[in-house]
Amino acid sequence: MFGPLGISLAPQVRASKTLTRWIKPFANWYVNLSGYRKMGLRYDDLLVEERDDVQRALGRLTERENYDRTFRFKRASQASVLHANLPKEQWIKPEEDIRYLRPHVEEVVKEDNERKVWDAISVERRK
Amino acid sequence: MLAARASAARSASRIVRSFATVVDTAGVKVAAVDNGESTSAVTFLVKAGSRYENKPGVAHALQNFAFKSTNKRSALGTVRESELYGGVLSASLSREHLALTAEFLRGDETFFVDVISSFLTGAKFTRHELHEYVSPVCAAESAALASNPAGRAIEAAHALAFRNGLGSPLFAAEESEVTIESIKEYASSVFTKGNIAVLGTGISQEALSHLVEKSLASLASTGSPSASSTSYFGGETRVDSHGGPQTVFIGFGTTGAPTPELAVLAAHLSPQPSVKWSQGSSQLAAAIPTTASVQTVLLPYSDASLFGLLIQGQTSEDVKTAGTAAVAALKQAGSISGEEFTKAVAKAKFAAASASEARSGLVASLGPKVLGGASASVESVVSSFDNVSSSAFSSATSSLFKSKPTYVAVGDIKSLPYADELGL
Repeated sequence: MFGPLGISLAPQVRASKTLTRWIKPFANWYVNLSGYRKMGLRYDDLLVEERDDVQRALGRLTERENYDRTFRFKRASQASVLHANLPKEQWIKPEEDIRYLRPHVEEVVKEDNERKVWDAISVERRK
Repeated sequence: MLAARASAARSASRIVRSFATVVDTAGVKVAAVDNGESTSAVTFLVKAGSRYENKPGVAHALQNFAFKSTNKRSALGTVRESELYGGVLSASLSREHLALTAEFLRGDETFFVDVISSFLTGAKFTRHELHEYVSPVCAAESAALASNPAGRAIEAAHALAFRNGLGSPLFAAEESEVTIESIKEYASSVFTKGNIAVLGTGISQEALSHLVEKSLASLASTGSPSASSTSYFGGETRVDSHGGPQTVFIGFGTTGAPTPELAVLAAHLSPQPSVKWSQGSSQLAAAIPTTASVQTVLLPYSDASLFGLLIQGQTSEDVKTAGTAAVAALKQAGSISGEEFTKAVAKAKFAAASASEARSGLVASLGPKVLGGASASVESVVSSFDNVSSSAFSSATSSLFKSKPTYVAVGDIKSLPYADELGL
């Protein structure tokens, strides 16, 4: 329910120009405050990965994406050890913060839901 | 009463033999026959075997991608829905053809033709399906083939005999990395209307034509993979292998369309008995030791055929004894008596006729003809043996030895015989 894959009002906000104009500054302020970009991480690096569906989605990343993800984690944990943010030129810029994992997770969830539907389907004899 | 029964059998055979008019349905060849079975089967035969692949292992990966997710339904949906209908889906790969088959109860043809044609027109070819489902199956099939000495011998024999084209390996090598882009490219080059034939049994020609026309309308109409014509080379190789019988394959290749003479030769040499637990009556059967076996192998392709003897035994000595006997029998085969020749023709004719009774055999024997646009009938398969003459048979047999034989030894290569030790 909560977390990156939970219910979100973002599509509704984005659909309305007025709301976007009002809320965007707060959203940007919140993202900067949360500080993950300053550790060199992307938003999808924060997805809870101790779940079967996310694990399956991780397996679907390309080799390059997987390598980059591991690199970001190592760099961030080093930053954590040093109790310091990365130098400013290494911060993740907003345009670099793309949702590389979310489409895969959504695909996996869709497959799981389809399986549930087929498992519980009730069949009627053809007339 | 006997006479009455014989005539009834004859008229029944006449009904069975009225096979399959080939109709060109918007570029796709469709042939169907309805003998009143309670189930129907539809096979989409695509010229997409390993012969036409541009990268090694692509044809094998494409075969295992069959019935995975398409624009219309997911892989799971395909499986569950066809289970609900009670049908069986299968895909099989040969060196020349990829066959996609659905067997189902009468009346369900709309769904099953749609399942196969949606793979041909709108397969998704996702990267994760390749890694999660397709690659492991490919690797397992390759490993199974590699652990089977007979399979290895025949693979190696093809590579020696034909080098490229027909010689390229049927299955992907275990370590080969097939990319999704190359599979997509191969699929778009082979899934064209001129490259597909549809064979149906237990379904009427009109119904099948109508369904195929509707479902394959979006396919590209022209283009087919290029293949150079096959030439025969031959040679000798020895493959080290442990665990499994000692194996030797002696092969002879011919180019051009397959002839019935070779089938007669295979029937003549085959030591397999007609009655279980007895010894075959061929000359060869008496000469081979009990711990060894000799099988005749005849693999016909569209423009070449590979005929050979597969000799297996527990020890290299057994193989050597059986191999020497087999080569001697093969050399004498050109000058057999009239009685033995008649027996061999009858045996070959029966084998061909009985293979085309089963669905898979029917597709194997008639599929290439339908793809070529020729009229397809079981009768023509059987009647080709009526024209085999004893002189044509002996000239075909002696011409085998004119080119270099293909010789493959799999097993303990230190003790297995060389080709010249068997009298080749």
